[in-house]
Amino acid sequence: MLLAGGQGSRLKALTSSVAKPAVPFGGKYRIIDFPLSNCVNSGIDTVGVLTQYKPLELHSYIGSGQPWDLDVMDGGVHILPPYVREDEKGTWYKGTANAIYQNLSFLEQYDPEYVLILSGDHIYKQDYSKMLDRHKEMNAACTISVMEVPIEEAPRFGIMNVDETDNIYEFEEKPKKPKSNLASMGIYIFTWSKLRDYLIADEKDEKSANDFGKNIIPAMLAAGETMTAYRFKGYWKDVGTIDSLWDANMDLLDPAKSGFDLYDPDWTIYARSAIRPPQYAGEKASIKHSITTSGDEIDGKVENSVLFHSVTVEEGATVRYSILMPGAVVKKGAVVEYAIVAERATIGEKAHVGGKKTKSEDWGIAVVAQDLTVGDGATVSPNAMVTKNVKKGAKA
Amino acid sequence: MNDLHGIIFAYQQSPDLRELVQFRNSCSVPFGGRYRVIDFSLSNLVNAGVTDVGIIVHTSYQSLLDHVGSGKDWDLSRKHGGLRILPPFGFAGKHPNSQYRGRMDALSGVYSYLQTIRQDYVLLTTGDLAANLPIDDAFEQHLKSGADITAICVPETGADPRLTTYMAVDENNHVTDISVHPSSPKGKASLETYILSKALLMNLVDKCSAHDVYSFSQGVLLPGLTDGLDIRVFDFQGWATRVLKVGGYFHCSMELLEPKVRSDLFRMDRPIKTKDQSNPSTYYGPDAKSVNSLISDGCHIEGTVINSILARGVRVEKGAVVENCILLQRSTIQEGATLRYAIADKNVRVCPGRTLMGHGTYPLVISKDEIV
Repeated sequence: MLLAGGQGSRLKALTSSVAKPAVPFGGKYRIIDFPLSNCVNSGIDTVGVLTQYKPLELHSYIGSGQPWDLDVMDGGVHILPPYVREDEKGTWYKGTANAIYQNLSFLEQYDPEYVLILSGDHIYKQDYSKMLDRHKEMNAACTISVMEVPIEEAPRFGIMNVDETDNIYEFEEKPKKPKSNLASMGIYIFTWSKLRDYLIADEKDEKSANDFGKNIIPAMLAAGETMTAYRFKGYWKDVGTIDSLWDANMDLLDPAKSGFDLYDPDWTIYARSAIRPPQYAGEKASIKHSITTSGDEIDGKVENSVLFHSVTVEEGATVRYSILMPGAVVKKGAVVEYAIVAERATIGEKAHVGGKKTKSEDWGIAVVAQDLTVGDGATVSPNAMVTKNVKKGAKA
Repeated sequence: MNDLHGIIFAYQQSPDLRELVQFRNSCSVPFGGRYRVIDFSLSNLVNAGVTDVGIIVHTSYQSLLDHVGSGKDWDLSRKHGGLRILPPFGFAGKHPNSQYRGRMDALSGVYSYLQTIRQDYVLLTTGDLAANLPIDDAFEQHLKSGADITAICVPETGADPRLTTYMAVDENNHVTDISVHPSSPKGKASLETYILSKALLMNLVDKCSAHDVYSFSQGVLLPGLTDGLDIRVFDFQGWATRVLKVGGYFHCSMELLEPKVRSDLFRMDRPIKTKDQSNPSTYYGPDAKSVNSLISDGCHIEGTVINSILARGVRVEKGAVVENCILLQRSTIQEGATLRYAIADKNVRVCPGRTLMGHGTYPLVISKDEIV
């Protein structure tokens, strides 16, 4: 069950028209491709995708599930928005646990032995079957995927305190004085019969926030259920902010250093691809330490950047340390640095977007929202969030 | 669904394509980086709203089968109609160990399939043609003109070595003469794409089969001119080529580096579809240099690539130089190797420091899976 209803409000302009899981990532993908592909690569063939916030683009992106081989007769991908039930008292999903509760009848159709709960906000590669092996081996009611984080960062996470066999005896949400550095990744496996009981009980509690982290996990711990931690090692990134989204994209340029490699043939990340011809590097092109894809037409300078499909970088333009989303256009002589340019935005001739990294508090990644035009010779300062067209020669 | 059925001749294995057709037929030769030649015919048909397509194959079609699969990448995997691969089921029994001698042979080889065609009109085309054809326009002209056969042609190309059949026309675009492989070509060059009614097609196949006539151009079109067949030309103004010879293949592949040719072939309103391979993007290393090149997804470029076309998953390592080359799927040019005027087929590996050179008029071809 993939929770994909998140608004991703900290991504601001990038999620003004799409849900966070539909945000483009890594040249060819959207965030949701990672958990979806992980499912398929782990041998999971029945996936429910729970949507709520601005779901249209996400729905059409998932479609029949064909790019992920999830267009099968038995199982496959199911899109699960909130709906009006028999008592005509349908509500929006109130919390993560309530979202699953509202789909009890979906789960009952399949009557699974185990349920995997995922969120559509993270970039990582994980074999969930190994986690399930541990869940079975420990005969647990719940297994939570955890990773070690630097102890000073632990107060930002839900922290699991475990015994010598990695069984969880305590869960602390964002503790001021963490006792361990094992952070929950928001990935849970439940024995379905157990989870079902707790979801029903939780729904009856009017004071509950109907959230896995805040309510279900503490309730199960309090009742003395076997809760175990599964230690995940490898790359994992929450791309909930502009900075972390930019960082994670840059990590792709240096797989040896970041430990995140999309070229591994044994763990392909699948995506619905645009039908575009191969990219063209022109006579004046210089492309270094970057990833680019189909339909790109590059005649300028591209360095340390991630370009999505159908991007144009004209002669004499420079793109550095930036992310150009599908259909973005950078015109002659423009400079784009430390910036995210969203879908189909146009950067006019000799315009300047973003600025070199400085230690100043005002510095940050500049963002130009989708379908906007930054006029010729205009300037977009670092850290700016452009949500309206910028006139010729103007400053934003 | 419209009233047109597509038949693609994909049994050809042009010997002049040398190593490129060692393991495949002419129609599944890779073209334009991420495509196989047959992608163009398939996409042209689908873009014109054709829902039923038969592909006539004979031998060496494993690679083609592998590529088109169920046809789902072209939306041709359908409950009714869709894609049919047509091996020589009605022919191999009668003529064991024999190739189709021509298109009429091929059509009578799949006779029982022709009988099941649901549409009133049929488009015959060749799987070795790379062009973005407005088939719906040609079909409309065919219906309006009342012609028996409409041939899609490119106007007055002169002595174009890539095309073989030429049609002389009068002022109304009626065909007055047809010549195949003429020494001095006159008229319009045929793209070997014809529209006719199913009734006429069945009639012609029956007649040719009874008289053991196997050639479409010499057995149907040419006698048709005197037998009163109304054959007319639909003028196609865009870029087109057939994949027939290594030299021509190399030359016209390189034409794709011109923006005008690319925008003509890869139109937004009529996209060319191909098999999805779920490749990641292409990575360029810190010392990479790539100039005037067409590069597919999943490549890893650390060296220099100039005036070249790279298919999916190609690796060009540090210090390697690739100039005026076509590198096919997953070929690897290792450190410090130099390649000029070469075509490296699938999975080829050129070891460190090797130097290989062909010439524009005679490009070197390295066979599939070979290690140099």
